[in-house]
Amino acid sequence: MIRLEDLSKVFPAQDEAAVDDLSLEIYEGEIVVLVGPSGCGKTTTMKMINRIIEPTSGRIFLQGEDVTRVNPDNLRRRIGYVIQQIGLFPHLTIADNIATVPKMLGWDKERTSKRVDELLETVGIDLSYRDRYPKELSGGQRQRIGVARAMAADPPIMLMDEPFGAVDPITRDRLQDEFLRLQQEIRKTIVFVTHDIDEAIKMGDRIAILKQQSKIAQYDTPERILTDPADEFVQDFIGSGPSIKRLSLSRISDIETADWPVARLTDSHDEVREKMRSTSRDHVLLLDEQEKPGRWVGKEEIQHDDTPLEESGRPAVAIVEANANLYDTLDTMITSYKGSAIIVDEGGRYKGVVDFDTVLEAINTMRPHEQDRHMSPPEEEQEQPREGTERDLQDGGEGR
Amino acid sequence: MTTLQKAAAKGPGGAARLLRYLAMPIFLGLAGLALYLYVGIHGLDSIEQRSLNAGTLIGQTATLLKLAVISTAIVVTLSVTTGILLTRPFARRVSPFVIGLANIGQAVPSIGVLALLALVWTIGQWPCIVALVAYSFLSILRNTMVGLRQVDHSIIESARGMGMTKMAVLFRIELPLAVPIILAGIRTALIINVGTATLGTFIGAGGLGESINNAISLDRTVVLVTASGLTAILALFIDWLAGVAEDILRPKGL
Repeated sequence: MIRLEDLSKVFPAQDEAAVDDLSLEIYEGEIVVLVGPSGCGKTTTMKMINRIIEPTSGRIFLQGEDVTRVNPDNLRRRIGYVIQQIGLFPHLTIADNIATVPKMLGWDKERTSKRVDELLETVGIDLSYRDRYPKELSGGQRQRIGVARAMAADPPIMLMDEPFGAVDPITRDRLQDEFLRLQQEIRKTIVFVTHDIDEAIKMGDRIAILKQQSKIAQYDTPERILTDPADEFVQDFIGSGPSIKRLSLSRISDIETADWPVARLTDSHDEVREKMRSTSRDHVLLLDEQEKPGRWVGKEEIQHDDTPLEESGRPAVAIVEANANLYDTLDTMITSYKGSAIIVDEGGRYKGVVDFDTVLEAINTMRPHEQDRHMSPPEEEQEQPREGTERDLQDGGEGR
Repeated sequence: MTTLQKAAAKGPGGAARLLRYLAMPIFLGLAGLALYLYVGIHGLDSIEQRSLNAGTLIGQTATLLKLAVISTAIVVTLSVTTGILLTRPFARRVSPFVIGLANIGQAVPSIGVLALLALVWTIGQWPCIVALVAYSFLSILRNTMVGLRQVDHSIIESARGMGMTKMAVLFRIELPLAVPIILAGIRTALIINVGTATLGTFIGAGGLGESINNAISLDRTVVLVTASGLTAILALFIDWLAGVAEDILRPKGL
């Protein structure tokens, strides 16, 4: 989709190249995060893709087309661009801001206006904001408008330079989630620059960790970077707790749930007791009519007691959605009653239960095989399947 | 007036704003009336009558306005253009030089510029206009440059990044965002020009300065008060107009 070939940039009056002979391939529909310490040339690299910074040498290909020498203005209209400061035009309304590129491309009024409404809806901004000005928006809203503006003409490629850098941590987290959800639908090819490895791990389908002069230390999926850092530089850059960070990359839906007895709140006491006898577990989960988790009931509580089921045992808490990651699930489990979390679907209906054993098992399968490490050459090592996430299966063919 | 009312009606402080807009013209009208009454009470001799009649006063006021307006129009065109050019990247080296040159125009006393121009060129309205242009060039130039330079770089970068041409960025982003500061410079220049234009009489450019000068040499206080009073009213009125224009032309959302 995007191919950079031997790209270099030497700024005037500087001896060292800011970017030195970088080659990188970016695949369609992926978020590729360029991450590295300050001054490593990641932003320069990104800005050479839409030629805000003209490369000194090397070539840039978009969708197979060499764009190193084409008209940069036309090129940029095909590429969405979001920067940290967002740079909304303060003298134009939100609608006019979003319509910037469509207007340049000569769309008619009706089409532009429809697109603006559509985009406002996509990024979750009320249509009543159409005719307001940027200064009337909060930081998070501005950021959303910035993304909407970049997507206005539906460019296949988007460049994002620390787009969530200027908002507070809570808003940032929400915006990241929103954006990932959005990306599920729009499937753009995105080059994302950040200095924050946690953001890189969260956002990236693939991460390029860059050293000085944009030299690639490792270009890989977040999973593999965390489980198998290429060198000491990468290791240092990831920082502490790579295994814990790794957990945030696996969804609960990727692992086997534990087998757990369930009954209904509408069932009779005897039915529940029968259920209890047939299992080795000491608790049964009771569901309500909508299949939503209602209460946990223990062996002793049900044995001789005829308290209505709605009031016996404990209310079912520690509920996570199936698309939650292992990190959050583990966190929920730690604070839960029996060290287990109930998994529900988007509608809150029961899907299964995970406990520490199932999570530990899942962690085991993703750990690099330490004993193999010294015996097999690294190439082979990397070929070994470590886990069965969908993301990794996709990588298998084109990744390396 | 409708524009005024519209502008004034906006926002919660609508009534207060309308009052602010109307206060100055009311005050100036009262000042004009006071001048008229003063002249009426005083009674005029034949010399005073030669200056203080509607025809002469209107003619002189018109000349003064003409000098100020033409010179301002010329200087705005020149200095805004120069300001734009000097803020482009290619002009980084020459811009201090041009600003230095413009500084000289403002550093020389206005009467000096007038006299010099009359000596080396000619007398009449044109050398007066040229002198006014030279004199007020810097204030608009400086404001244009400051106005353009204060535009947030990230706004320009995002515009360029979306594929706006340099020209489009200049006319659709940079200039509109610089308008409030440029207008403030123009307003200052206009006021300076109305005041300075009265000196034009010394090189035969006419205007209310003629009456003032006559009144001083002939020792006629009524004429002096009336002519200088009218000049002041005119300057304040133009300042008010410029203020209203600033409010209307300032881009919304800033």
